[in-house]
Amino acid sequence: MDIVRDVLDTRVVDRNGREMGRVDGIVVDCQPNQPCRLAAIVIGPAALGDRLHPALGQFVRRLEKRFGLDQNRPAQIEFADVDEIETKIRLRLTISDTAVDAVEKRLRAWVGRLPGAR
Amino acid sequence: MRKLFNLTLGVVTSIGGFVEVGSISTSAQAGAEFGFSLLWAVAAATLFLAALAEMAGRLAAVSKRSMAAAVRERFGIHFQIIPLSAELVIDTLLLTAELGGVAIAIKMLTGIGFQWWILPVGLVAWLVLWLGNFSVIEDGIGLLGMVTLSFVVAAWRLHPAAGQVAGGFVPTVPHHDITRYAFMTVSIIGATVSPYLLNFYSSGAIEEKWTEQDLWINRVTAWLGMGFGSTVAMGCLVTAAIVLGPQHVKVETYEQAAQMFVPVYGRWAVTLFALSLGIGCFGAAVEIALNAGYVLGQSLGWTWGIDKKRRDTSRFVAAFSLVLLLAVAIASIGFDPLRVTLISVALTVVIMPLVVLPFLVLMNDEQYVGRHTSGPIGNGLLATITILGALMAMVVIPLEILGG
Repeated sequence: MDIVRDVLDTRVVDRNGREMGRVDGIVVDCQPNQPCRLAAIVIGPAALGDRLHPALGQFVRRLEKRFGLDQNRPAQIEFADVDEIETKIRLRLTISDTAVDAVEKRLRAWVGRLPGAR
Repeated sequence: MRKLFNLTLGVVTSIGGFVEVGSISTSAQAGAEFGFSLLWAVAAATLFLAALAEMAGRLAAVSKRSMAAAVRERFGIHFQIIPLSAELVIDTLLLTAELGGVAIAIKMLTGIGFQWWILPVGLVAWLVLWLGNFSVIEDGIGLLGMVTLSFVVAAWRLHPAAGQVAGGFVPTVPHHDITRYAFMTVSIIGATVSPYLLNFYSSGAIEEKWTEQDLWINRVTAWLGMGFGSTVAMGCLVTAAIVLGPQHVKVETYEQAAQMFVPVYGRWAVTLFALSLGIGCFGAAVEIALNAGYVLGQSLGWTWGIDKKRRDTSRFVAAFSLVLLLAVAIASIGFDPLRVTLISVALTVVIMPLVVLPFLVLMNDEQYVGRHTSGPIGNGLLATITILGALMAMVVIPLEILGG
């Protein structure tokens, strides 16, 4: 498998098909005299920021901390929890097992209060 | 039967391309200054936009991915960040200009200064997005947009000489103001082929749940839809050429442009022009704000869609609301919509090769479009647009300074 082509930037859904984001980063485990293996996928704007420029990643982390949204973020998901990799990546977890939707939840509290919210 | 109504997706997209604040002014200026001789540029823009929209729709129907999603997956964030950032900046600038366009239209109808209308217009646009669903937005704008046919009716009733109109479809070098002519050509194409339209169209195809069975609908929608907008833009250009050309009017305000309707519509001229401008710009504003939500949601993997519950798509809702708020804020500071349009046209042209080039790859990748890959004609057209886009990108800034 070509990790960069087949895994990075791919859509991730939980075991119920709910959108969890995209693979914003990967953790690769490289041991001497052994081929590297994909240890985990990372989801979260801070990981995406890191890939573009470390300063951007740092900025996003500070922002998340400022709003109290930095708990367990960016979400690191062990490769063992990946169910299948097709056009999207399906996990064995549910979205609530992770902190990927912390921002969505925070915003939902505001959006839900607006008149006419459905 | 509902499928046939999907044509409105094409009509709505074409309103955003041909019948909005920038396109109406460039068509009017082109007609007033160069007669029919820039009709070919509108035709070229139509060919480009329709071909690109058809591909964006095909990509969405077969791969179930919008353009933004496909570009992120196929090319990665390091490539996508450039067109994505440019698209967000262009969206915000264009949205600012469109809100200004609606406000100017209301000013023409009421006489009350346009600055007073920016906030109410922004609020109404937000309410449409907050309360509406995709069909309501699409059909509503599509239906109201029919008023813009008044440009076509005006051109028809002025009885232009068929031979002269036909001559306008052949590119020629003018005897005067060559720089201005080149600038107008780039402006017409840049104001029409906006990157947001392609992502809006492909997102619409996903909202409408198109499948491979709908590819013929996509083809008809893309070509007939863009044909609608193109006909309106040509109607505007022809009317301006016949009415404003002989008066040597250099269109610098929309009030001047409205005069093109006087010989045909008499005392209804300003009302009809303002309604056409206002509805076209409002449709474009709603599309642009919605697209900002789409492009961010799809690129970052959020749950998105105007047909989904707002509570389940709160980041998507926040994205279109924030872009709208930002545009209202910029528009309220005081600006000239034509100047903002000029900047966004320049940006659109500069970024065009980076928007079109991924299409060349995606439309030939069976992982995305299966057996519906582009043939030699589609690929040739894409290559032409890319090369032309790159050439225009190199000359646009000097042309804006010299010709604008």
